[in-house]
This record gives sequence, structure tokens and C-alpha cells, in this order.
Amino acid sequence: MNHIPVNRIDKKAIKAWRLNAFIFGLFWFAPAGVYILVTLNQGSFNTAIFLLFIVPALTVYLLTGFVYPKIRWQRWRYEVNEDAIDLYRGFIFKTRTVVPINRIQHVDTSQGPIYRKYSLSSVKVSTAATTHEIPALDDEMAADVRNKISQLVRQVKEDV
Amino acid sequence: MSEFRRQHWAAAVDRLFMILRQNFITFLIVVFVGTQEPGEGYLLYILIGTIMLALLGGILGWFRFQYRVIEEELQIKKGVFVRKNIFMSKDRIQVIDITEGLVQRVFGLVKVEVKTAGGGTESATINAITFEEAEELKKNLRSNKAKSALIEDVEETAESEFLDEWNISTKELVIAAFTSGNFGLIASILGALSGQLDSVINEESIEYAKEALPGLNDVTFIITVVIIILVVSWAFSFLGVIFSYSDFSLKKTEKELLIRSGLIEKKHITIPFNRIQAIRFVEGILRQPLGHGMLYVESAGFELNQKERSIVLVPFIAKKRLKLFFDRFLTDFHIPELDVKPPERSFFRYLRRPNYLLIIATPLAWYFWEWGWLLAFLVIPATVIGLFRFKDAGLYIDPEMMALRFRNLNRKTAFIKRKRVQVIDERTNPFQERKQLASLTVTAASGAKGIALNITDLEKSDTSRIRKWMLTGNTQIPRDDG
Repeated sequence: MNHIPVNRIDKKAIKAWRLNAFIFGLFWFAPAGVYILVTLNQGSFNTAIFLLFIVPALTVYLLTGFVYPKIRWQRWRYEVNEDAIDLYRGFIFKTRTVVPINRIQHVDTSQGPIYRKYSLSSVKVSTAATTHEIPALDDEMAADVRNKISQLVRQVKEDV
Repeated sequence: MSEFRRQHWAAAVDRLFMILRQNFITFLIVVFVGTQEPGEGYLLYILIGTIMLALLGGILGWFRFQYRVIEEELQIKKGVFVRKNIFMSKDRIQVIDITEGLVQRVFGLVKVEVKTAGGGTESATINAITFEEAEELKKNLRSNKAKSALIEDVEETAESEFLDEWNISTKELVIAAFTSGNFGLIASILGALSGQLDSVINEESIEYAKEALPGLNDVTFIITVVIIILVVSWAFSFLGVIFSYSDFSLKKTEKELLIRSGLIEKKHITIPFNRIQAIRFVEGILRQPLGHGMLYVESAGFELNQKERSIVLVPFIAKKRLKLFFDRFLTDFHIPELDVKPPERSFFRYLRRPNYLLIIATPLAWYFWEWGWLLAFLVIPATVIGLFRFKDAGLYIDPEMMALRFRNLNRKTAFIKRKRVQVIDERTNPFQERKQLASLTVTAASGAKGIALNITDLEKSDTSRIRKWMLTGNTQIPRDDG
């Protein structure tokens, strides 16, 4: 029980998260781009502002787009056994979450537009208190995990 | 109880008042705007028209609202335009609250709220029925609950008998009100409000205040305002406690705890023992020196706007009487020695932790205000808090239950049955990892979500021991593992 969970999530997650980061990152990127264009046009380009704000912003944008999804994928581990669901993740701050099977109230899978493009799904597990997610599993895999969990839950069902 | 029933017609009145209360601001605006243009009578008609509409809505709502208990379910039909049927199965019901609001008290009625555990379902509220009907409803909803338990007929008789009672004295109530540490919260609300009150507090009125009260300069003015805000908010929280917890009593029956309290709005809360998720003892910074605190019980239940649902079990209780109280009312729990402590090597981490914010805040404050560097002196109280946090942090497990204690500002001690622990999180950052430390979060169900209980910088072997304990009940690490 002390070993760290073994299963990884689907490798397509990296692509899906990258796409996601780039799309949502545009909201961060757009003001910076506009700023550069406008100031260059007006000839009021301010190097200090560029270095202090724009460069870090762009760096963060590129990091979240290129580097972070891969690290996040590498660090995600999960395991489902007859006692509990064990989730282990995190790049700098590592979190291990253990949800006992008999506390689970329901389990479902969900899929947004980007996940659909890569045929990925998330499995969501709810207890009386919290909801936990195993992100980005292949559709079939997600269905399997969901069925496995709900079967385990039915076996050990106790009241809340 | 198998026929559909309506509420008392006062439900329509209650609904009218609810609509009026919800639209209070709109009314104010209408009145203000309306009175800007003199001589126009139509404002009155709009007001009366709206009230009539609301009353009509209330009456229709009352007419449509029907409830019954049939077999294993509470069924409610309601809704004027959108018709709703709520079916709530008995064994999912967590808490039944009975409240006497103002309207209800005028008619001698009560309001009943029936709540299930989190996840999708709505809480069912029956707004106006007589106390007897409410009691009968409650009995109906609670019956058959113990079908799976062995003996039913014995319980029938013993069920509603009061076995024990706990009260608080007037003296205790007054001390509780004096020490209600809520004024930090209320001060911040007032602070936010003062932003809204720009029209009242402006250059002009400040000038006026200065002239009226000679000897005020800018600094003393600010200090005076702060003191006034503190005093006003303290007065509010004082009254709040008096209003909420006057006439408090806690009664125990075979299966339930019954709480009654309140001066104007009376609340009756019923908590079955088997629905208790956790017990918490909170010692406020003003109360701890007096050796007192507040006792809460956590229960699961769907609550729309609330994250947690902590019910006050006893508003003011001496720490040294806690054991007596547990022995009489919470026999499933006991008060243990907290023997699992954070190790010595987390001591300085505890001292540093409250200071991190200052590292960022002080230079910023200094940059913006001449006297901002004074913020650096907060290092002393922050470090003292860190010291106390280290001293107070602690934990205990046995096969049945756990107890854990931690401090933010107030010292909190929580007692949870092992079977009620929903989730355990262990967190580590790189520094903790190097020192083999981990932070632990234990989550118990409370309201629609949960209540998270944190202890930072524990021995890593202890946190993984607790993770396993949650699953197996073993308090020791099995040898052949990991």
C-alpha cells in the first residue's frame, strides 16, 4: 500500500493540454501583442515595460504551452484497487489523494470539446464532501475505469 | 400521512414577505427614483400592484404546494409555472430543521427544512405548518429508519423520551457574547461597506467632523474611525450571540440530539447520532484564555449557498467540562491525548510560515507609503502565532476515531470517526521532501461540500501511516509493506 500508484494517464493528454493552454493563453497573449504593435506604431516603445512585463508574460505563456503539459503528464499517476482510489500528482507541490471506495457516492465521465478532438475523457469521483478527477484517459479506458469503480462501490456499499 | 396535504395559508404570507425582502433594494431604488419627480401618484400604484402580484404569487404557490409521506419517501409537489415534484427517499435524509421565523411566530407555526446529503438533490422546505404537524412529519420521516436494525418495537417507545439535557447559564451567554471573536469578520464587512458609503464619508463630512470635534488631526481621525468601526462591529457580534443563543437547550434522546435556540427566530435542529460527520471544538483567541470554546457538529446536507454546514452544538463550554459533555452526549467519541506531533525539525518551518506574506507585503507597503516599513514589526506577532501553531498541532488515531488539533488564529480540535473520513491528502513541496515532512489534509463531509482539516509539516511516515489507517483501521505500519 505504500508504493506510489503506477498507472499513467493517456499520452494524448500532452497534446490536448497544449492546445488548451495555447487557446486560453491567447487571452493573456493578446494584450501583450496589442501593446507591442501599438507602441511600435507610435514610436513610444518602452524597453523597461517590455522586459519587466511582456517578456515574463510571454515566457509564462510558452512554458505553460510547451513545457508544463509534458511535466504534468509525467507526474500524474493513479490507481484503482478494491480499497481505494489513489491519485498522485504535482510538479513542485506533490499531492497524494486517497479516496476509500466505500466513501464514493457516484462516478462519471466527462468530455469537453478539446478532449473530444483527441477522444479523451475524464473520470470524476464524488464523495459526500469532495470531487476528484482523473483527467485525460482514452475514451474506452475511461469507461473501463468508471465501470470498475462503480462495480467496486456496489460491492462495498455502506451508507454515508 | 399518505394523503397529500397543504400547508397553513400563512405560507402565502411568508412567501410575500420573502419576495419583499429579496427585492428590498429594488423597492428602495423605486422609492428613491420615484420621489425625485414630485407630484406623481403612479409610484404608489406600482408599489401596491407589485405587492398584490407578490401576494397572488404567494397564494398560488401555497395552493400548488402539497406534501405527503408515503412508504419510504417524502413527496412534494410545487411550483406555479414550473411544476416541480421532489421525491426524497427517507434513508437519504440527513437533517431535519424546524425554525420559527417572525411570520411563523405570529401564526404559531413552524418552518421545516429537510436535507439530504450532497450531490444534486434539493433541500425540501415546508414553510408553514403547526408544530404538531412538524413533529408528526419528523416522526414519519424518521420511522422505518432502523428497519435494518434488529429491534423496532422497543425503540418505538423509547424514541422520543429525553434522556439528558444541557443548558447554558445567562452568565455563560453574556461571556460568550463578550468574547465572540467575530468582529474581525464584521470589521472587514464594514470596511467593504465604507467603500459603498463614499457619498456619506467624503471630504466635506470629514471636515465637518473635524470642526465639530476639535483636536482631531489626520492620524487621530483614522484611529478614531477604526475604533468606532471596532466598537460598532463588536456590538453587532455581541447582539448576534445574544439573539442566536438565548434560550439555548440541548436534549438527547435514544437516537438524536435536539438543539433549540434563538430569541426572535427560534431554531430547532435535530441531528441523529448516526448522521454526525465530525465534532469540532473551537477556542477563539478571546475565549481560550478563559478556558472556554464553542462546540460544533458537522453534518452532511445540501445547502445552496453554503460551503460548510457547521451546527453549533454548544455555544459556550468550558474546556474542562468537555469530557463530562462527551460522556453524557457523545458517547461514541472520547477526548484523547494528542500523541502524534510535528517533529522538532519542523519547528522553524512553523515559525517562518506566517512570515512569508510579510516578505512580499513589507517592501510593497514601504514603496507606497512612507511609514510602510512599520509593517516589518508584524514579524513579532507572526512568529508568535507560528510558535503557538507548532505547540498546538497534534493528532491521535485509534481503530475507531481520530482527533486532530491545529491553529490558524483560533485553536480548533476536531474529532472524526474513521468511517466518516472522506478523503486524505498528503502534500509535499521540495523543501518538505528533503526533510521527510508532509502536510496532511483530512476531509470530513459537511453541508454540500466538506470541511478540510489541515496539519502542516508532520513526519512523512506519520502521514502515510494515517493514510493506511483510514483504509484498514491499523494504527501501526505493517512491517512487510513499502
